[in-house]
Amino acid sequence: MNEKFKRRIKDFFSVSKLSVLIYWLIIIALLGLFFTNDFGLVDIHKTAIITAVGIDAEEGEVIVTCEVVVPQPSQSGDNIKYTHIQGSGLTIADALNEVNSKTGFYPKLQFCKLILVGEDCQNQELFRMLGCFYRKNYSELTALVAMCKGKASDMLAMSSPVSDMTSEAITKSLSEEIEKSANAASVSLKDIAMREFSKSGACYMPFVEANVPGTSENGGNGDNVGGEEGGSGGGQGGSQGGSGSQGGEGGEGQTGASGQSNQGGKQMEFTARKTAIFAGGKFKGLLSPQQTFALSMIEDEIRLAVLPCDADGIHYTMGMKNIDCGIKLNVENGTPKATLSFKAKAQIQGAKVPVDPRTTANDDIIPENILKGAENEMEKRFSELIEVIRTTDCDLLGLREKLFKHNTKYFETFKDDILTRMEVEYKIDVQSVN
Amino acid sequence: MKISVRQICFIMIAYTAVGKLLIYPTQLANLCGRDILFPALFDLAVSGVIIWSLAFLCSKTDKTFFGLLQATIGKIGARIVYGFFAAYFIAAALIPIFEQKLYVHTIFYDTVPSLMVFLPFFMFSLYAASKRFLNIGRCADICLPVFAVTMASVFLMSFSEAKWDNLLPILTTPAQKVFSSAANTAFRFTEPCWLLMFMGHFRYKKGDAAKITLSYALGAAVVLLFLAVFYAVYGEISSSRTFAVSRTSIYFPAIETLGRIDLILLYALEMVMLFAVVLDIQMAVHSLALCTGYDDRRVWSLAVNGVLIVILIVCDHYFHSILQFFSQWAWIWVLLFAALVPLALWILYAVVRRREYERKI
Repeated sequence: MNEKFKRRIKDFFSVSKLSVLIYWLIIIALLGLFFTNDFGLVDIHKTAIITAVGIDAEEGEVIVTCEVVVPQPSQSGDNIKYTHIQGSGLTIADALNEVNSKTGFYPKLQFCKLILVGEDCQNQELFRMLGCFYRKNYSELTALVAMCKGKASDMLAMSSPVSDMTSEAITKSLSEEIEKSANAASVSLKDIAMREFSKSGACYMPFVEANVPGTSENGGNGDNVGGEEGGSGGGQGGSQGGSGSQGGEGGEGQTGASGQSNQGGKQMEFTARKTAIFAGGKFKGLLSPQQTFALSMIEDEIRLAVLPCDADGIHYTMGMKNIDCGIKLNVENGTPKATLSFKAKAQIQGAKVPVDPRTTANDDIIPENILKGAENEMEKRFSELIEVIRTTDCDLLGLREKLFKHNTKYFETFKDDILTRMEVEYKIDVQSVN
Repeated sequence: MKISVRQICFIMIAYTAVGKLLIYPTQLANLCGRDILFPALFDLAVSGVIIWSLAFLCSKTDKTFFGLLQATIGKIGARIVYGFFAAYFIAAALIPIFEQKLYVHTIFYDTVPSLMVFLPFFMFSLYAASKRFLNIGRCADICLPVFAVTMASVFLMSFSEAKWDNLLPILTTPAQKVFSSAANTAFRFTEPCWLLMFMGHFRYKKGDAAKITLSYALGAAVVLLFLAVFYAVYGEISSSRTFAVSRTSIYFPAIETLGRIDLILLYALEMVMLFAVVLDIQMAVHSLALCTGYDDRRVWSLAVNGVLIVILIVCDHYFHSILQFFSQWAWIWVLLFAALVPLALWILYAVVRRREYERKI
């Protein structure tokens, strides 16, 4: 009995029996040691997370304004502080290094959700400015990119009634929902690089403008969202640090605490209905809201779009669903031919006539003349977009890339002048929801 | 103390795939762009044929690789060959270990951690490498379900962002470039050598050769699908995105709201990757034990891991130079150890058969 018990104990503690247990213990130890970084716990007092980056160009230097979130230990609920820190240098990496030295935190930009490029960067090579983000796993390429009116540092210093965090307020105007309604052509770092480094060599990004809340642009037909401009002179957000950061001085800008209202400055609303376009990394101009709408229709998956149109002298606002839009490129009889097709189901959302409750039940059954008006409006917008593409030689629709992918043998022949040589056929079909 | 065919199949599926998900896709995208699949297809097909050949040979003889060598070129010759194989496996483990170190440092840390953070890996390696094939098989039993669940999830999270026409047009890269790319990345294909070492250590039953080959084909299919997804997600900028497996699922819509939930999958997959990396070290220890005749594997595990730690510390900042060296020259010893030697076993087998026949007469 005693011998049997001893043998059992011996078997139990034999290494082969304990193998699985030892493996799991080692794996748990490894997880603890280098997977979860538990021994690298960050002291909340020493943490500074960059949530947005504003980039301005000044006299050959890059000025980077970082919106930094500083968690605060607090029992009152206001436990996040936002601040702006600037750095400057010949490259963004130089500037970020300066920011690093000010924040005491390694700025890897893993949490950066927005990159705002100032209007003064229009004269610079875009991918010289943004190059840093694509190097050495510096950031995930998920951050949204937009150009803003005026200086990026000024826009980040503004405050918004929508959110305490300015970048979040701006990001709302670039949100997926806005993109799915064709009201902004939102793009991420990855999108612009993939377009720019494709055969088309062109990209675009939304153009963000600040407007005074409660104002709206007059004379609009629904497209002219916006209003009284907020200006770009800065100072809207309190103690803005300005751009006097050259030579490594950098300024610490506006500081606002969660739950606090804006510090004396006027709050602003942000819209991104226009689009900045680039070819070969050079700024080529701005698309109007109508052209942006057309671009979004082709490039994005739109769930519900609102289209103002006229029919028989009456203004209608159409809601469009089940949208199927795209552009195909073929070479027929030695000539490149682009076919732009658009299909949608429409219903009347509004009309500039007194409403008759007895007829609103028929809003889903649209008379042919109104459908024709919607089709004409869509064709007008598409043709305006194509015209811009031709005049600026900015291949926003990726036609050269399409030619290379699907008609490779014609690529060398047409790659230089395809935008001007191609014929465009519009196949637009708007039908009633019912 | 034999490994089972099921466990070998699991190794062929999971370890084949996980070893090629970090820098391999980036390297191929850099070399061949849109034709990323073709060099991989070539290497996988060649390895697949060799694996089938070896598995089929196992149906003819139950001798181990060492046994076949001993029966033909003698014990001393067999030991010398195993010594070379030990060196080969140590070299084969180098790039995966460096990749793991960089991967852990880059993806699981927001700052720049020191090398010390990765060194605990060798605790695991030291223990695992001292174990025998039975233990390797048990680990594979654990790893396959983890691998299947995590890879399926990574694929599901990546598909929404994939634009498949990024892979068009196909075969625009010159054939010479495709083959040179296949040669440059051939050092990652050590799978035939694993089977070489398993030879004679499992009970062969009818149809096992097909099972093992199909398992390798399944692992290869996962690699090819991942390469396609990676290029479909990143297109022309794929060559700048290292640690590919952590990049494709990042655009999954829920991550925007919930945060990096994909990291849970990546942690789980990392566990399988570590077992795959350790397999080369285990093979090196096995080879050294047979080479010297001294069977205490704890000693050899200590020696091999010691060598690897020294290399890791000395060459900590020279990964790209080492990668470049392997890309340029490693195809020669891969050709020798993972292709010519396994195929040459048929000759050794024929010699053994002939001797047995002559002896009977």
